[in-house]
Amino acid sequence: MPQNRKKLIDLFIGHISEAVSHEILIRSTENKEIASHYKKELENLLDRSKKYREKINPKNSSLPEKDIDYIKTKIIIKVKTELKKRISLGYKNIDLGLIEILVDKFLKEAKIS
Amino acid sequence: MEIISKISKGTKMDQIYIPKNRQGLEPGTYVKIIPIEEKTIERSYFYNIKELEPIKLEIVNKIFSIIKNLTKYNNIIIAGSLLDKGFNFKDIDVLLINEEKINEKNVEKILESRLKIPIHLIHMTQKELKKALMIDPIWRIMLNKSISYKRIPPLPKTNLNYKYLDAQMIKSNLLIENSECLTGNEKYKLTRNLIAIYLFVKQKHLSKENIEREIEEKFNIESEELKNNIIDEKFIKKYKKFYKKFEKEIIKNAAKQEKAN
Repeated sequence: MPQNRKKLIDLFIGHISEAVSHEILIRSTENKEIASHYKKELENLLDRSKKYREKINPKNSSLPEKDIDYIKTKIIIKVKTELKKRISLGYKNIDLGLIEILVDKFLKEAKIS
Repeated sequence: MEIISKISKGTKMDQIYIPKNRQGLEPGTYVKIIPIEEKTIERSYFYNIKELEPIKLEIVNKIFSIIKNLTKYNNIIIAGSLLDKGFNFKDIDVLLINEEKINEKNVEKILESRLKIPIHLIHMTQKELKKALMIDPIWRIMLNKSISYKRIPPLPKTNLNYKYLDAQMIKSNLLIENSECLTGNEKYKLTRNLIAIYLFVKQKHLSKENIEREIEEKFNIESEELKNNIIDEKFIKKYKKFYKKFEKEIIKNAAKQEKAN
């Protein structure tokens, strides 16, 4: 894929990965109710990712299956790496099962899939 | 324009003090002083606000007035970029403290329709706010510079929940991975987030000034340069080194806390 498009997709992947990691970590703490009051930051991450999405063709429909698979796989790998690093050091209550659910949710909101 | 104030005894002359942050009544204006019935005086509380444009004060008072007539409240607090100098705010952060559940979206909608300015309304109970102030540096920064309808209680002691801080810190990693594509403002916010958490962990006072001073010391860059995206590779290298080292510390401490619980 053209360099510029790849860069935009990588930026998109970066933002969604951080949003998913953030969300799963917050849910694993006992302070969900506090973080939910400041979900503006999560919304900002997602809004920025949508700005990159708006520059990726096709703009008004889902991306080709190949691109969706690439994006989804990359995000899942990134997030799993971050979270597994923490689990291996002793973090508890991190629900890895949420990764795919949140990734699908955010990709749908961004009209990737 | 009406201001109610008390006469204070002076040495050679008695005086009446009025807030610097006010609409109208510029120095040099002639005023009439008349006694009034003593009653409970309602006055807003300003926290670390030296100066505020009069039109912003009007907006704040209007927000207080609308909410008072709309819903129950223990306190109403205005924070965020509205209170910074100039008119660079995109929305107004309003914190509504109330023990009962409220329809946040509805209140937000009404405020927006009356003021024609985007509003970000957050509702919390007193207990939730206290908890937020104990564990989240961002909340402490918010309230450090704010205007409230009633007095805000003193800040509670901090409680370092490293896992929670890790979750808040993770977004600052974006600056390392996507630095060429982020705007100056985005870089500044991510750096500010990281340093706020750092100062919180080191038990230092959280204020915009302290954070910006620490940014300058740690990364040898002024906040204005960062906001204007005048950065070089050296900044990214320093930032990455600092982030990775601090991340290690946070994760190590979080894991320790998990094992202890």
